Amino acid sequence: MTELASSEQPADQLISCDDVSCELLIDPIPRPMPEPITVALKPRVAKVTFVDHRKPNSTVVIKYAQDILRERGVDVRDDIIIKGDASTRMPDTLLQSFAGEDGLVVCGISD
Amino acid sequence: MTTHATIQDIENCMNNGWSDGLPVIPPYGSLVDAMLDAMGWEAQDVIGEIPSQSIIITAEKAAATAVMAGCKTDYGRLLRALTEGLLDPLLNLSGAEVTTGGASILVTVSGPVVEQLGFEHETNALGANCRANATVGRFAQMMRYFCGRGGGVLQSHGTIGHPGRLSFCIAEHPTTEWGAYHTQFGLPQEASAITLMSTEGPNSVNNHYGDTGAQILDSIGDCMVHYGQTAWYYRSGGFVVVIAPDHMALVARDFTREQAVEYIYENARRQTDDLAAVGRITKEPRDFAGVEPGELRSPLRERNQLTFIECGATGGRFSAVIPRWVGSTNAVCKQITSEQGA
Repeated sequence: MTELASSEQPADQLISCDDVSCELLIDPIPRPMPEPITVALKPRVAKVTFVDHRKPNSTVVIKYAQDILRERGVDVRDDIIIKGDASTRMPDTLLQSFAGEDGLVVCGISD
Repeated sequence: MTTHATIQDIENCMNNGWSDGLPVIPPYGSLVDAMLDAMGWEAQDVIGEIPSQSIIITAEKAAATAVMAGCKTDYGRLLRALTEGLLDPLLNLSGAEVTTGGASILVTVSGPVVEQLGFEHETNALGANCRANATVGRFAQMMRYFCGRGGGVLQSHGTIGHPGRLSFCIAEHPTTEWGAYHTQFGLPQEASAITLMSTEGPNSVNNHYGDTGAQILDSIGDCMVHYGQTAWYYRSGGFVVVIAPDHMALVARDFTREQAVEYIYENARRQTDDLAAVGRITKEPRDFAGVEPGELRSPLRERNQLTFIECGATGGRFSAVIPRWVGSTNAVCKQITSEQGA
């Protein structure tokens, strides 16, 4: 048996068996309930929204990316959404606002 | 008795993602039940939550992890405080797991519990070959690894990481010059405590020929301000300074802890233009970074981001600087409150 690659998900259940009986091992890994959110790799509409997490030069890089996308005919939302600080979680309200986005939301661009 | 079936169980755990990369004790129900009892929890007690990943953590998960890391049930009450600290949202456990910064969770143990549970606080204090240090430190890293990746959905993105991601636990001398480590976080001197923060790996500080406290602190401060240290732009983390006895004898003769903090805060600095010239400060700094052109910049935004721990053996003039991960905005300090290990 080959060792699990770090990119694969760990087993949900393991069983220990000797000659006469078997027992379940206790799973040490908490699992998402409900199932984890999925990211649609192919957005329903060709529109891009950028989120600036305020890392170094992020605004410069994002504006540059906006210009390139527009040149290529991609619809780009004019306003850039600001996330206050890269080292803190995205606020739930902001996260929820993206749930209804039909286009692509891009966050975390910087040097 | 260890049987081939047990060996197969170990292999099974390792081959199916129930491991940190090292062999584990298989989490048999009987062992996990005993650990739960030692930690003072019922299996289904909810002890933590990571809402952004839709994860609820029950006590059974922590107890299974403690068994797998090789912890003794004698550590139960310490493990309970440690688990509560690990799952405190202020620690940002998942952030430490997935960051490019390759952070580990540094566990600091201080107070009477150090001797009661047999922690090594002298020889090789930062990497002791001692079951208490090794397994408690491993437990913390395994919790980070098991709980911080959304049940295995998320990937870790550490660029290079460091060996502390397997185990990183430091125990303080039971008797100190400047008071117990946890007093820097407001706990009383007589308490037993664990303190958690996410950190990079330790940097050794060697000074065998200095004979004043200032010379030792200058060496420590210099280690904090090399170009490549992380906290030049973001200064949200801080540093843990580990002082071994031979250095401490010189420093404590000339400085109180508060004076040592002040000395390093004032003197360990670099010029912002130099930092910008080598690319350590962005060309267009944000307001929150507080970059003043031409000023001498400290890697500390606030003095309380610098703490000292006294440990290590005599006979060598070494200390160490442990930089905190810049996403480590908070340290979490928890008192161990029960009879066992208190």
